[in-house]
Amino acid sequence: MGDQQQQQLILATGGYDHTIKVWQAHTGNCIKTMRFVETSQVNALDRTPDKTRLAACGYQCIRLYDLESNCTAPVINFDGVQKNVTRLGFQEDGNWMFTAGEDHHVRIWDMISAPPHCSRVFDCEAPVNSACLHPNQVEIGMGSQNGSVFLWDVKSEKHERIVPEVDASIQDVAISPDGRYLAAANNKGNCYIWTLTSSPDQKMSTLRPFKPIKAHKRYILRCKFSPDSKLLLTTSGDGTVGVWKTPDFSKCGELCIENYWVWDAAFSADSKWLFTASSDGVARLWKLETRSPIRDYTGHTKAITALSFKDEIVGK
Amino acid sequence: MATYSNQHWLLSHIRNSFISTDDTGMCETVMLSDDMPKHYLRKYGNSGAGGDHGHRRPQKPPPGDAGPATTTTFEQRNIRQADQPFQDVDFICYPGLDLSDDEEDQSTHSFDIQMYPEVGAHRFRSNTAQKLEKLDIAKRRAARIKSINYQEQVQPPESEDFFKRKEVPQSAKKSANSNEDELSDGGFQSQLTEQLAKSPKQTQNRFIDFARFDGTSQVGMQTKRINVYLNMLPEPDRNYPLKICVLATAKIQEVIGFVCYKTSLQYPDVPLKSLQHYALYMTEDNDDMEDFPPLDNREPCSKFGFSHLTLAERRPLAPVTRVDYHGQLGTKSMTSEEDKTALAEAAVKALQNINLNGGTTDPGGAGGGAAGGGGGATAGAGDDSPNDNVKEYEKRLLNHNEMLEAPMHRTFRLNIIDKRFFKSDVVLGISGERIEIDQYKNAKFWPQKKPVSTSIDLVAHCEIVERRQLKALLRIWLKSNSSSPSFSTGCTSAPINASVTTLNMGSSSAGIAHSPSSPGHTSGFFSSSNIRFKHYDFDTDTHTADQIHNKLNCILEMRSSELRREFLLQRERKLEKRQLKL
Repeated sequence: MGDQQQQQLILATGGYDHTIKVWQAHTGNCIKTMRFVETSQVNALDRTPDKTRLAACGYQCIRLYDLESNCTAPVINFDGVQKNVTRLGFQEDGNWMFTAGEDHHVRIWDMISAPPHCSRVFDCEAPVNSACLHPNQVEIGMGSQNGSVFLWDVKSEKHERIVPEVDASIQDVAISPDGRYLAAANNKGNCYIWTLTSSPDQKMSTLRPFKPIKAHKRYILRCKFSPDSKLLLTTSGDGTVGVWKTPDFSKCGELCIENYWVWDAAFSADSKWLFTASSDGVARLWKLETRSPIRDYTGHTKAITALSFKDEIVGK
Repeated sequence: MATYSNQHWLLSHIRNSFISTDDTGMCETVMLSDDMPKHYLRKYGNSGAGGDHGHRRPQKPPPGDAGPATTTTFEQRNIRQADQPFQDVDFICYPGLDLSDDEEDQSTHSFDIQMYPEVGAHRFRSNTAQKLEKLDIAKRRAARIKSINYQEQVQPPESEDFFKRKEVPQSAKKSANSNEDELSDGGFQSQLTEQLAKSPKQTQNRFIDFARFDGTSQVGMQTKRINVYLNMLPEPDRNYPLKICVLATAKIQEVIGFVCYKTSLQYPDVPLKSLQHYALYMTEDNDDMEDFPPLDNREPCSKFGFSHLTLAERRPLAPVTRVDYHGQLGTKSMTSEEDKTALAEAAVKALQNINLNGGTTDPGGAGGGAAGGGGGATAGAGDDSPNDNVKEYEKRLLNHNEMLEAPMHRTFRLNIIDKRFFKSDVVLGISGERIEIDQYKNAKFWPQKKPVSTSIDLVAHCEIVERRQLKALLRIWLKSNSSSPSFSTGCTSAPINASVTTLNMGSSSAGIAHSPSSPGHTSGFFSSSNIRFKHYDFDTDTHTADQIHNKLNCILEMRSSELRREFLLQRERKLEKRQLKL
């Protein structure tokens, strides 16, 4: 059973049609459709590290779905959520989950105690648009609507704050899997890169400005590092995905979905493939080498705003 | 209950009720041209000029001078021709009901169409009730969902280790298991790469565009659940419907696409043709309704109320059946036999021309009942057995015709064998309800005998007892009316009525002499159960005998006659007994 689950490589997508769809990644067939909250789009999706559950957040809601059962109703629902919850993610062992919301707070949820409960809160003093976990599993990078970028150590509860550009809203932050870089993308189309350094005696990584990139002419929606940390991508409202090469962050390619916003993207574990979610309601699989789309995932009736793909390295 | 004696109201009511309860969506096509109430109303208007029924509203202009109220709403073409057949109908229109549409006629003449939901026999559930039910369902569902309060107080983790700092490998790998140096390019593979590599030829499902009509879990959109039988599947699977849920806005064409999409997922081995080869047909409990045309591709599926449909290859509308139905049902006359065979032949030819070789690729389809026989409209070449198909179809068609015609009244002229050896010229009439035997008009010799009329319920069996080169001896078995066990007298017992006894020869000797299956000396009666049988014997040419034999048995079969079964059973028992004796 567990093996089968592993075999089944799935892509999850959610969007403005209030549904979450689960796809067989390599064929593009929809396996399952789950009803999300009727009043909300899906802002972000993430899977628990054991791959059995899918977490989704939206306007005034956070829900967890069981991927193994045929039931399309959630197994966990959060009550009393205010405003949009913009991001969520899991610690690599699934011990805790973080959520970031427009209620200015980033919360850490203890998922192993019997009823999950909140074990940390961080106040960003502005609506939080994004959050991401450092590979060291204790630091969280955050970006808020007032343009601040935070790095927060959940263990020591220390934090650092930087404002790279005034009057711009940070739309997404990303930390490279090798822990070297932090990227923050804003609504002006700019992406800022910092280097992260840490020494064993240090309590927290230090941020050092590295390079700003003028990535797009318009709104950037997501930025992501590839699993091998060699690539950074930025998805934008101008209908393109910019691909940037580390360590010099020079542009090495562009994927184009004309006239549509590209809302989200995810790499395969070997950084060779890329999934995109766009406002034409189609998710696509791209071969990065040739920059050509090779699969369409059709089924959503409205824009897809979030996707989640968990791949694994299977060896040579 | 004044309205119930009003023909106009009743007609309208019947019509409206039919339309409003019709799930097929076909009624409009069928009933389009004959709005009887309107005809009648119009008719009344015309004849009303001559004989005033006194129910008309005084302010209405006489119909003859084309008053705006009537002529604007009723189409002229219907009026003229409608005149004649309805002449004698005394059609009464109640005051107020003959109002034309543009007046304040609020009545829909149907109980099913109601202006106010609260009025009438059925009261709809209130909004509150529906809301309460929704709440209840939500509550029950919520019971299974774990709930977490988002705003709850922060409880710092008890364990120091809850947040554990992990070492980040300084190389570009998350895990330390693979060696760094190989990382350069394509050092390792992901599961996705592997799976994609395993299915390189697997191109995208060509029906994928229709995936978006999936109605499952759609929020705030009308959806429709349909069970679709798939005719192209092999035998066992075909009997189980594919359950789909589509958006109610999807057109039939798109539903077909979606069904194909689902089929290709569920039965990847079944080859599918392109969309235009398929059509959705009405289905009733596994029964193909092959005479109905498929659902119109351009209509939204919400228009149709079916819970079950069949996806089959589009077949040509059988022109044969149509011609036949019209030609015969209309007149109900006795068309000459030649005409009919000619017709059937022409029909078969026509069908052959439309190229019936249905399943070009899948042999399963060819044997597959209606759709297989019906075949696709495409000229798929290279099928080995188109002829078989046609023959089968032909056979079925003829059989079908036979069945269809069987209950129609037909008469045959033949000789009844009377009093053991006398023959008299009679007319045998057979219909779905009864058989009649009447003496032929110019019978000389014999005094006039009263005609016999027997309900078909009393007819047990028909057989050809003896067949010679040109002539045949036909026997019709009837249930004897007499319940008394008076079979000793043989021939004259159990007459239908006294005067008929002469016609009823039904005794042992005459026919029996030649008939191998006749029950020996035991007279023409079986008496093992309470039911007693008698028979008439006829002498006629083989062709007519065959016809009668087929027709009558067809009727009996269609009625699944108890009596016939009983008769055959008795006879079998008799035979067994006799064999035992021997």
